[in-house]
Amino acid sequence: MLRQPLTRALALGSPTRLAPVTTRRYAEQAQAQPEKVEVFIDDQPVHVLPGTTVLQAAALAGVEIPRFCYHERLAVAGNCRMCLVEVEKSPKPVAACAMPVMKGMRVKTNSDLTKKAREGVMEFLLVNHPLDCPICDQGGECDLQDQSMAFGSDRSRFTDIHFSGKRAVEDKDVGPLIKTIMTRCIHCTRCIRFASEVAGVDDFGTTGRGTDMQVGTYVEKMLLSELSGNIIDLCPVGALTSKPYSFAARPWETRRIDSVDVLDPLGSNIVVATRTNEVLRILPRTNEEINEEWLSDKSRFACDGLKRQRLVTPMLKDSRGNLTPVEWEDAVVAAASALRDCPPDKILAVGGEMADAESLVALKDLVNRLGGENVCTEQYFPMEGAGTDLRSSYLLNTKIANVEDADFVLLIGTNVRFEAPLLNARIRKAFIHKETDVAFIGPKVDLTYEYMHVGDSASLVKDLASGTSGHEVMKRLQSAKRPVVILGADQLKTKEGAALLSYTQELASKLQENLQEKDWKVLNVLQRTTGQVAALDIGYKPGVGPVLASGPKLVYLLGADAGVVTREALPKDVTVIYQGHHGDQGASIADIVLPGAAYTEKRATYVNAEGRAQQTLPAVTPPGKAREDWKIIRALSEVCGEGLPYDNLDEVRSRLAEISPALVAYGNVQGNNYFAQALALAKSVQRPVSGKLDVQLKQLEDFFMTDPISRASPTMAKCVQAVLKQKQSPY
Amino acid sequence: MSLGKVFALDKVANLFNIIRQNGGLRGVLYKLYRQDDIKDGVLVGEDKYGNKYFENPRFFYGRNRWVEYADRYHLNYDASQIPAEWYGWMHYKTDLPPHQDPSRPKYKWMLDHTENLSGTTGQYTPYSTTRPKIEAWVPPKSA
Repeated sequence: MLRQPLTRALALGSPTRLAPVTTRRYAEQAQAQPEKVEVFIDDQPVHVLPGTTVLQAAALAGVEIPRFCYHERLAVAGNCRMCLVEVEKSPKPVAACAMPVMKGMRVKTNSDLTKKAREGVMEFLLVNHPLDCPICDQGGECDLQDQSMAFGSDRSRFTDIHFSGKRAVEDKDVGPLIKTIMTRCIHCTRCIRFASEVAGVDDFGTTGRGTDMQVGTYVEKMLLSELSGNIIDLCPVGALTSKPYSFAARPWETRRIDSVDVLDPLGSNIVVATRTNEVLRILPRTNEEINEEWLSDKSRFACDGLKRQRLVTPMLKDSRGNLTPVEWEDAVVAAASALRDCPPDKILAVGGEMADAESLVALKDLVNRLGGENVCTEQYFPMEGAGTDLRSSYLLNTKIANVEDADFVLLIGTNVRFEAPLLNARIRKAFIHKETDVAFIGPKVDLTYEYMHVGDSASLVKDLASGTSGHEVMKRLQSAKRPVVILGADQLKTKEGAALLSYTQELASKLQENLQEKDWKVLNVLQRTTGQVAALDIGYKPGVGPVLASGPKLVYLLGADAGVVTREALPKDVTVIYQGHHGDQGASIADIVLPGAAYTEKRATYVNAEGRAQQTLPAVTPPGKAREDWKIIRALSEVCGEGLPYDNLDEVRSRLAEISPALVAYGNVQGNNYFAQALALAKSVQRPVSGKLDVQLKQLEDFFMTDPISRASPTMAKCVQAVLKQKQSPY
Repeated sequence: MSLGKVFALDKVANLFNIIRQNGGLRGVLYKLYRQDDIKDGVLVGEDKYGNKYFENPRFFYGRNRWVEYADRYHLNYDASQIPAEWYGWMHYKTDLPPHQDPSRPKYKWMLDHTENLSGTTGQYTPYSTTRPKIEAWVPPKSA
């Protein structure tokens, strides 16, 4: 099976396209390293592995060679010629990005010939590049600007001042996220390579040659990918820019705050760019263990949802049943008296999909102090067997970065492409570069790579676990050295969820027993939301079902917008308190609304699907009268007469550390074990399963609007419209 | 020069005159509290809002015409409460108070005087044409 275009497959592989060895524990430890060769970069000796390119060797020596087309995570194209360097005994300058080192090679990165070559390349690029830097969105972060300053000629030979023959290219329409100004394109083909290698959408390409060469989709077509925004970052010039951010700000005007994304369960690292207390855009921040340097479109572009449908003032229901704005004092007093007057066993607190660990722990402590025990999460997880007692049963134990070292991936009822786009990008990377095979149990979906479709019946998992399956997947799993089994948390909602989890655990532990590497983790459960792992760690009960059936008198929704608690399911006389940042499902059924802060507005802990605690930092202030969530609960507890014993963030976090040190071990994942014990407990709940596995997000249009922030985002709404429109098109 | 003037008895007489005109000791204390000044003078006229206009040429030019605002303003009086008719007399543009000046135009379309409402709830506020940075959620109204 040819997994990448022939040209790419034959192209010189760049070893660093896989994550650096330091972040991958399982990276070819066993393979003997070939002997290093010595090369000289500007007479400075460097020892590198054979097959390394001159450009990488120079980077090791601390010399940065200018480049446009070369990108370390993409295949080498070698077409911009900016990286030309002089090599001793070579008649012509050579392209450093595509030239493998040879023993004793002497590279001169600063010689007259090299400088002249760069100036020549720069001159050719600029002859066909418009001089519209003042109105270009890339201005200030443009590689062409920077490199023409650093490496370009100091004078111009351009004489066509009437611009009679300057190249001009029609702009393309590739959807509502990416704005194209194709005249600015310098044909580095990074976008083409990203789309075909990482995103798995082979739509981009070049047509024509010479001056007539154009990058585009040939027929006008939207770029149907969940990772499309990354080509904006990749584009070294202003040919591809962000449509929602167009003409909004210059990079030197913005304040950049490192933060963490909460719109998918992976917790990608982001940089929030703000100006005048307004989030302007979100960019990825490199973290090799999670998102590399990519970001999914929802995480990147849903930030305009942070400015719409916000809760900016506390609200109370008036006599006519309408929510009316009130002061904090009135709302807190009303909420506190409702909490105090309610019998403790009739209080139901629900932690939502984007709730942070601090507010979750404060809410649980408050309810417990009042005497209640019903603190639940929205999403269900089977409590039979080990339940949530063992952390390994609900985490992505293999870890995201290690997935690319797997040699067989079995996906059970999870459309990874839309539930965790960057995990899917990792699997695709392993599929392309490491001959990893993927099998999938569930409905037929497009994962951007080929996979073995086993079927969509839950009983297939049972057959695999018991070893009675005659399917090819069984053999492949058993022969795999590093198998990975990923179970979608959505499948656990049904009655058969417990049995399905138990069978998956059995399958994983059987596979694990046969492994050479004992510390390789097989079992993975992919949660759907950011808040779930932290909530389960803190001790929330998964699922509201039983408590809802017992008729609560007071429901406290902490950002619970998934629609599992509805007015219809509640008794008539119930009081609903909603605390959160968006007017969505939860706020519309509430009697008391307490405005909280969104993830860009507070310093808060989020735990991703691997169990990695990370913290967001406040980029802007919460709008209007909104406050940080744990502070609201702390204030409520004081008025209730059950004051919580923490007054500042550090004290809340030391409370978090009391519950689980993993919650404050920022950036680290703690190793999970006890798979065997979890399985022993789960064995008792094994019973025949017959249902079909279905996933919630099947198509690209389902991906964009899944949570209160993206539902409020006009850009995401445009994306859904554009995708649906594209589906009508014959192309 | 009379003997009274030599001993400044006329000043003493003035003082008693002022106290009498301002309504005795209680009235004097009230006026001092309200307008920090007590003067004697001729009541020239009164406008329709109840402000009283006085004149006394004994005081030097610039201080010889003054207004006592209507009692309902209490301490919240300011010069914008003087209507346009009396403005000219107060500022020495004319010596004829409005009720003695037949040449003043009177049309039915002339608006009533309004005081300056800046700083009060009645002040003029231009509406904003910029979009708010944050659009708040508007809860659905039950019928």
